[in-house]
Amino acid sequence: MDKSSIRKSSSNRILIGMYIFSGAFLFLAALLGLLVSSVTVPVPSIIHIILQNSIGLSWMEDIPRNLEMIIWNIRFPRVLLALFIGAALSLAGAAFQGLLRNPLADPYTIGVSSGASLGSVLVLYFQINLLGLGSFSLPVVAIIGGFVALMIVFGMTRLSNRGMAIETIILAGIIISAFIGAIVSLIIAISSQEDMRQILYWLMGSVGMRGWSHLQLFIPFFLIGAAILLLHHRELNALAMGEESAQHLGLDVKKRKIWILVGASLLTGASVAVSGSIGFVGLVIPHLVRLITGPNHRHVLPLSMLTGGAYLVLADLIARTIIAPKELPIGVITALVGAPVFAILLMRRFGRGKS
Amino acid sequence: MIKVERLSGGYGKEQVVDNVSFEVRKGEFFALLGPNGSGKSTIFKLITGVLPRLGGEVELDGKSMTALSMTEKARMLAVLTQEEKVFFDFTVEEIVMLGRYPHQRGFLKSISSEDQAAVERSMSICKVELYRYKPFIELSGGEKQRVLLAKALAQEPQVLLLDEPTNHLDIRHTFDMLNLLKEWQQTNELTVFAILHDLNVASLYADRVALLKDGQIIEIGSVHILRKEKQLEEVYGVRVNSGSHPEIAKPQLFLSPNTEEISTSDGGFSTMFELNRDENVIHLRSRHSLRTISNGVIGEGLSWAKHFCNFHVDKNYNCSDPQQDIRNWLEERGIPVEETIGMMTAVQLEDMVMLTHEANDYSCLAVITAGVGNAVDISAEAEPEIIRRIGTINTMLFIDGHLTDGALVNAMLSATEAKTKVIHDMHIIDKLTGTIATGTSTDSLLIACTQRGIPTPYAGSGTVVGKRLGQLIYQATKQAIGKYQKRTAKV
Repeated sequence: MDKSSIRKSSSNRILIGMYIFSGAFLFLAALLGLLVSSVTVPVPSIIHIILQNSIGLSWMEDIPRNLEMIIWNIRFPRVLLALFIGAALSLAGAAFQGLLRNPLADPYTIGVSSGASLGSVLVLYFQINLLGLGSFSLPVVAIIGGFVALMIVFGMTRLSNRGMAIETIILAGIIISAFIGAIVSLIIAISSQEDMRQILYWLMGSVGMRGWSHLQLFIPFFLIGAAILLLHHRELNALAMGEESAQHLGLDVKKRKIWILVGASLLTGASVAVSGSIGFVGLVIPHLVRLITGPNHRHVLPLSMLTGGAYLVLADLIARTIIAPKELPIGVITALVGAPVFAILLMRRFGRGKS
Repeated sequence: MIKVERLSGGYGKEQVVDNVSFEVRKGEFFALLGPNGSGKSTIFKLITGVLPRLGGEVELDGKSMTALSMTEKARMLAVLTQEEKVFFDFTVEEIVMLGRYPHQRGFLKSISSEDQAAVERSMSICKVELYRYKPFIELSGGEKQRVLLAKALAQEPQVLLLDEPTNHLDIRHTFDMLNLLKEWQQTNELTVFAILHDLNVASLYADRVALLKDGQIIEIGSVHILRKEKQLEEVYGVRVNSGSHPEIAKPQLFLSPNTEEISTSDGGFSTMFELNRDENVIHLRSRHSLRTISNGVIGEGLSWAKHFCNFHVDKNYNCSDPQQDIRNWLEERGIPVEETIGMMTAVQLEDMVMLTHEANDYSCLAVITAGVGNAVDISAEAEPEIIRRIGTINTMLFIDGHLTDGALVNAMLSATEAKTKVIHDMHIIDKLTGTIATGTSTDSLLIACTQRGIPTPYAGSGTVVGKRLGQLIYQATKQAIGKYQKRTAKV
């Protein structure tokens, strides 16, 4: 066995290890998220409640009704939502970084999230109740807002007569974000004390108090968006050498670019709609994964999902327990914990690169 | 293989390429040449579809380009440009694997064993398998370009489009790269269509070339159309002299900067020279480099030189390595070998004859040493014999004029005619055959010109310069042989 094949098998081992580690990390994080809270419920009971409610399996009697309520109607959807939002944001971030060939890109770069935020803020400010959708009004309007923002970015890029150039997309996104950000600030400035607190808290992001309804709203967007992106891993790889080069490889660059943008925007828009703008996850998790697996999107995309999901579950766990009974905004935790971890990994990597 | 008909297009509304038609044949190396902005890259982009066509038609292997899907096109045609920007640190193998994109089918499009085999093959052709796990961005320019070529070959194309693939490469890597391509072209019937900047490189590697100017094709043909100096000067706006590669039947071009002419303020032509003479060497040193043609031991053929040496050797000189001997002697005297024309003679150097003819144009200076012990009649029937006695005629002729290469050859003819006439008039006999000789067995001749003034293509007996140099050589040779005969008579 020559040296190169040893290296190859070792790099395969790293990959398999990464999948196993990420999967286990995700599972343990979810379990921990269900377990730790102000009311302690034993693990067997938790498992029983979940299995009974999901697939009707029952072997234990006399589990108190209120415990079942806490686990099934409050904690479980919360953990699942954190998991899916984390996965969605990380996947979207990885795709945006690959597509825009910019390490600073994240799910919020091209303005979709701003559109969704504006939609939500409008709902909160004007107390909109859309066609009797009730509490659903907010996410629905937010998703529409995100979609409108994406269309404006596409329109600006097309009208600039440069054929969907990456730089134009980024610039258009930044312009849209800035403009919408100003409108949101304006609304905050003119709103009442109570509205202002509500809006600001919403903008900081949270996965709490959402329940199954929001999860049901989110899942379809998640499935479609994730499927679109996961099927484009080869295109994202090919785009790393520039669009002209990708076109020479037989890629229909314009079409693929729009597909990837739509997929990533579905994930982002829906995430912001149900949980506000949670920062840091979509920017850093893909970089973290790349540090270990290398840049091949075949692995970066699924591993970002697993790692991002687990990460956000843990972040939410810390956010709601550290100063219990009060809750911290989840975005505070994602950055406070994530930034140092990422910094250490980055420095260790560059240190290794030098030696 | 690629048929381009009435192709027009450009950036936005600006039409860079206008109504261009040509055909690249299957299995040939076709080079597109022309100055910056002539539309070379635009033609490429119109063919690959990066830019939209405004008119015309492109056919690939008999099929219209518009009828082919993107992946069908990519399976037939690969492109190699000078790009080397890669986002994220992909490894070499991952980059080469990108070339398999158009071949991967199915919903999940996973890597097949066929893909892996093609990647291995093209990596080994391009000699990049050694650093397959190295990040692409850490490679040198030459290595990067080889990896990109491997990626293009992994596409298994029938046509390879190259947009200045050797732009950032040094000479060695340029030739490595092109040798690789040429080999692949010849063994696998790959059609290569390249944009090249270096005309000399294009001449060496291309089978046919197209000259492009202002979006129009000026001429298409074999690389020998590069011999048309006027045409090249019109296309590129640079003074061009075409010559030939000394070992390969391909044209090579020489480009001239705008330089000042040699000043003519000096007294006479002969004052340009400085003569140093001792019993071992006659050393003439010119203030300016002179264009030379000679059969000297050092500096043979066409060259440029400042130093002109005629070394004396003993008649029993062991001539196993005369070039190295002259090199040593020059080094001892501190004369630069690379700027010297060196000859040898067994004749006593004090019998040298130096004559000048000063005039307004074509002033001449002749420096001759002569011995006729080895006089030979070249027309008589006798086997050539080894040198028997002292005796050779070494002629150095300096002309103040601009002679083309052809005129230099013509001047050699004229000089030889004059020398032969002397031998005839003095009844020098070939001792072996008893007939009148035509020269000696080892005559050396140098013609050196200042190359100032208007170039002349002729120096035969029908021209001023031919006549003048003939007369001068006749007189000088006659005197030199006279001196030699006097000395040998004494002995």
